[in-house]
Amino acid sequence: MSSTVSLPVGPAFAPPVAASTQQAAATLEANDIGKHFGGIHALEGVSLQLRAGEVHGLIGPNGSGKTTLLNLLSGYYQPNSGVIRLDGEDLSTATVQHRSRLGIARTFQKPRLLPTLPVLDNAVLGAWPHARAGFLATAFGLPWVGREDRALRARAVELLHGVGLGHVLRRRANLLSHAEQRFLEIARGLAMRPRFILLDEPAGGLTGHEIANLGDVIRTLRDGGIGVLLVEHHTDFVFRVCDRVTTLNVGRVIKHGAPDEVRNDAEVIRVYLGA
Amino acid sequence: MTANLRTGIALAVALLLVATLPRWAGDQYQLHLAALICVYWILIAGLNLVVGYTGQLSIGHVGLLAIGAYAFAILAGKMGWHPAAALIAAGALGGLCGLALGLPSLRLPGFYFAMATMAFALIVGEIVLAQVGLTGGGVGLPGPVFPAPFDTPHGFYYLVAALAVLTTWLSWNVARRLWGIGLMSIRDNPVAAQAVGVPLFRAKLTVFVFSGITAGIAGATFSSLQSYITPDTFVFELSLFFFVCIIIGGRGSIVGPFLGTVVLTALPELVAPLAKLGNFFYGLLLLVVVLAVPEGIGRMVEVVIERVRPRVVSNEPIEPDLPRLARAIGAPS
Repeated sequence: MSSTVSLPVGPAFAPPVAASTQQAAATLEANDIGKHFGGIHALEGVSLQLRAGEVHGLIGPNGSGKTTLLNLLSGYYQPNSGVIRLDGEDLSTATVQHRSRLGIARTFQKPRLLPTLPVLDNAVLGAWPHARAGFLATAFGLPWVGREDRALRARAVELLHGVGLGHVLRRRANLLSHAEQRFLEIARGLAMRPRFILLDEPAGGLTGHEIANLGDVIRTLRDGGIGVLLVEHHTDFVFRVCDRVTTLNVGRVIKHGAPDEVRNDAEVIRVYLGA
Repeated sequence: MTANLRTGIALAVALLLVATLPRWAGDQYQLHLAALICVYWILIAGLNLVVGYTGQLSIGHVGLLAIGAYAFAILAGKMGWHPAAALIAAGALGGLCGLALGLPSLRLPGFYFAMATMAFALIVGEIVLAQVGLTGGGVGLPGPVFPAPFDTPHGFYYLVAALAVLTTWLSWNVARRLWGIGLMSIRDNPVAAQAVGVPLFRAKLTVFVFSGITAGIAGATFSSLQSYITPDTFVFELSLFFFVCIIIGGRGSIVGPFLGTVVLTALPELVAPLAKLGNFFYGLLLLVVVLAVPEGIGRMVEVVIERVRPRVVSNEPIEPDLPRLARAIGAPS
């Protein structure tokens, strides 16, 4: 469990369901993070602020630590130094599950789905943090459990239609195309009602048309007040949809700012974008 | 709705069959066999959530069955408890032992967990043999009879059939709700399960304790059905038998493992030549199923249809419906 650190500014106890007034201030931040695996320093002194209602790009060459940072934010890794905070609350040692209940969702570089289950079941799994039914209530088939289940499924159906998978609700996940799997992972993440969603190379393997659709989806999430972290190699795409961009190189932030600033930065061009 | 209707009709027919079985069962022996299937199924229905849904390969449930059986024989026989109270106590003890076994072992990865449960079954066998004062050692104990109206073969059949229907209903409720999907996420993709907040260890422990309770209750009725229990009644092969019933039936299904239980229990008894083959029959059946229909016999029809007439997977483009998406996200909760 996480320990709550009282800060001079900001509420020490953010309610799990954020009121609309706090929505504006909501941030998921990595502060001066260091992470090493054995002797390899994957990240050193990295800071990043992900705000609600904003798309934040994270780019950099292979091995620069992008996915490591994403794993630290979502809780799969714990930092060796530095702090992960959500609305000022220290989450550095919180479990992945705890973070999911606080509203942090993510997708994976290689989609991780339940291969033999239908699309709808895969998506509704994301509603787990919001299901109140425990094992006993479920086993004894209490009427409210059935009602809750149907409501969660109905919402998952809406999300699936929303991302464009309405035509494959009953198809087994292992029969989906690569792009469909990526959109399904996003729908599953959205079923968690996240305040922040971390997308790990969502455009990988997608066609131009599909990437355009992905961009539309991401912008819709942003307008809905969700903070989106976009780890991506398609730099054109990143500069098109992001409000801010952070560039990593060998575990350090080399440039951070608006897309145009980053795109024209000499160092970023030298190590990553190329002339 | 048509799917619901079909499920409803299938359920009604199944219940009618279970209720009228004593009328068309040929003789007492067949009724005994039906009762034995029910007793096994009480255990397997619970174990199915552990093995078939959560993917935890427990091969030690014969230990929990023995604990329930001896608890019932000692409490209701030696100590003179009312059999109903002893039955509940057997279930509770099974659940407690499931907790004690699950706490240290469910964190182990697949193969090591299986070994831990096997060790548990062997230890229970040795303890039963050694505690002569309590369990009668190698001589065994008589299995107490349930009071009227459950003291006849008919009455006893209805008792175990009712318990089997109850455990089926409980596990079906879990399987068809979000919990069932959560359990399968632990089986198929623990990393994704974590990401959506499924508490891996606690969920595994919960279903394991549930399977301990059903194993304890199955054990109690088993000792009554067998009328006499010795350590030899609970051979390790029985554990493998439970496991094989689920694998042959198919993972992530309730109908399949039930059919597996029926077939594996009844066939060797009803078809004399198969009885002579003994374990060879189980082995062969397991091999055939795993190689030919790895999805299990519960999905055989489905699989055959799909092979004869493969479903055409059309690749329609993904066209997001952005207004609908915006509405679904809604005002942030």
